[in-house]
Amino acid sequence: MDNTSTKIKAVLSTVFELSIENIDENSSSDSIENWDSLRHLNLIIALEEEFDVSIPDEEVGNLVNFKLIELVINELIK
Amino acid sequence: MENLKYTELLQLNKKMGELAFDISGEIGVLSNVTVNTFKDVLEYSCRIKGFNPIIEIGNYDNIVQDSLTFKSKNTVIIFYEVLNIIDSYSGFFENIDEDIYISLKRKMFLEIDIIFDNLKDVPSVIFNTFSGAYFPNNSLSETKVQLFVQELNHYLILKKTLNVTLLNIDQIFLKLSISESVDYRFYYSSKAPYTYKFFNTYSQLILPILLKSKGRLKKAIIFDCDNTLWKGIVGEDGIEGIDLSTNSKEGVFFNKIQQIAIYLSKMGVIIGICSKNNEKDVLDVFQNHKDMVLKEDYLVIKKVNWIDKASNIKEISSELKIGLDSIVFVDDSDFEINLIQNQIPDVLTFQVPKKTSEYVNFFLKMVYDNFNLVPTLEDLKKTEMYQQQFERSISENSHASIDEYLYSLEIEIKVVKDDIISFERISQLTQKTNQFNLTTFRYTAHEIKQFIDDPTTYVFSLYVKDKFGDNGLTGVGIIKEDKNNKNNVVLDSFLMSCRIIGRGIEYVFAENIIKEIEKVGYSTIGATFTPTNKNSQVETFYENLGLSCVNDHKGIKRYIADIKEINFKNSNYIKVS
Repeated sequence: MDNTSTKIKAVLSTVFELSIENIDENSSSDSIENWDSLRHLNLIIALEEEFDVSIPDEEVGNLVNFKLIELVINELIK
Repeated sequence: MENLKYTELLQLNKKMGELAFDISGEIGVLSNVTVNTFKDVLEYSCRIKGFNPIIEIGNYDNIVQDSLTFKSKNTVIIFYEVLNIIDSYSGFFENIDEDIYISLKRKMFLEIDIIFDNLKDVPSVIFNTFSGAYFPNNSLSETKVQLFVQELNHYLILKKTLNVTLLNIDQIFLKLSISESVDYRFYYSSKAPYTYKFFNTYSQLILPILLKSKGRLKKAIIFDCDNTLWKGIVGEDGIEGIDLSTNSKEGVFFNKIQQIAIYLSKMGVIIGICSKNNEKDVLDVFQNHKDMVLKEDYLVIKKVNWIDKASNIKEISSELKIGLDSIVFVDDSDFEINLIQNQIPDVLTFQVPKKTSEYVNFFLKMVYDNFNLVPTLEDLKKTEMYQQQFERSISENSHASIDEYLYSLEIEIKVVKDDIISFERISQLTQKTNQFNLTTFRYTAHEIKQFIDDPTTYVFSLYVKDKFGDNGLTGVGIIKEDKNNKNNVVLDSFLMSCRIIGRGIEYVFAENIIKEIEKVGYSTIGATFTPTNKNSQVETFYENLGLSCVNDHKGIKRYIADIKEINFKNSNYIKVS
């Protein structure tokens, strides 16, 4: 598993207060109970800091599962 | 900590939370914007200083009502952002009609009165001053927004009670810049304007106030003399050889430190000296040096001798009956600073910077971070006099009450049955609403359309507006006929957007749909409350409405009522059209 996805999992685990084993490729706002609109903001803040990127406005609302996050982050750090 | 990454802070904070040290006090945060990131940041900043308050964030945009429920907190912090006040007015603010401007201002004044009144017994209230810094300024002529901000701040200063600290939020913007403090993406998507960085800086700024109310602040400053209160060593250079003149390049800094010490003593800080010297040399300086401004009168305690400083400081602590952790020790020497840090780690040490030009500012920063500067009795009396004078002059218009406030809003609601053109918005509300939602059933637009078409299902939508703007469709009630009893209906869904709760609208809305359904010919109504993680605030809504709970199974409560027998609340400040 590459470094980016490991880091994303670590961020998800911290923000949603879940142990890292509970996070996988299929994690999403539907499977994680804590993932509400307020914590979503915290997630964006944490991701931006972790990868030193700025997530564009139109993507902020879309990052609702692991795969989409990975896609967007990979695009941004390319 | 200002360089700590957000995820690092979250992790550390969680770990400290698990240590479960004593709970110390309760902090409530009131705001008209979303500030949820603040909770972790503040919690962390407090815990690392050794105290562990319970922090509760009030409901979004519900400052006035929440101020009533936060009465028993130890500290209440208020974020009342002009940003969101201006946005609640639907037109362009610079173009606002004079009468709307005046009534908006009156409404704000009234709110401020109620907030201060509700919180008057809270030991410490931190109210951020209003700021217009988010808006473009016109440097040639004042904008309406700037005027509005000034008028509000002026009112705050006039009306603040003694327990209120007004925190000038512009100083954070100045330090970080607006673009580092405010993230408009989050403001427009979630009404959350402030960045993580902002909350970090903000927490540092208010810590002294929080520590003050916890009694963890310092009380005394003990100064060394040579190269601390003056430049030079009196025992070697002689009284003529030391320098603290305002006309000399380096002496000026020491002179300033002495003036600060005088100011501090007027503000109730204990000032003392502890110096390795012959006592008569030092006293000679205090009594006879022409540039000396800090006179002996200001010194509460003097230890001038050749005994080690750790023993001296311990003696000072026991003679003054103050804890070692209330003392700040100021010295220029590495040796003495290390000795104190080593021997009495409870004492805070401050070392005179090697670059003398930094002395004054570093010293002041230490003071502001660790002392609560309260004017002495004499100064206080003056303030009190002003306060009383002022109170007399405003007593005629101080009959502020929640009722009067609610009337002044001129709330108007409209309830529409089977509102076919809005079925998408109705579906969206069932999908998005978490807090004020009794059953949390989610429906697609297609399902809503089917309900509307079904003659035994009734979909009600709520429209709300007030003097300051139109909130649009913000509430939904769905009622279904009971298949087994044609006289009975079931309240399948009842929900409202959190933008409008806390004004009693929920009761009027429920009353209206129940009366509508009575007109159709039904006589009894059933309802259910299903608990989720987010909807605890409506747990007793149906009881409050007047329905009786007939069954409570694992928190799922079922209600039934004869419609004729429900006693509805009187909320005549809400107009139903």
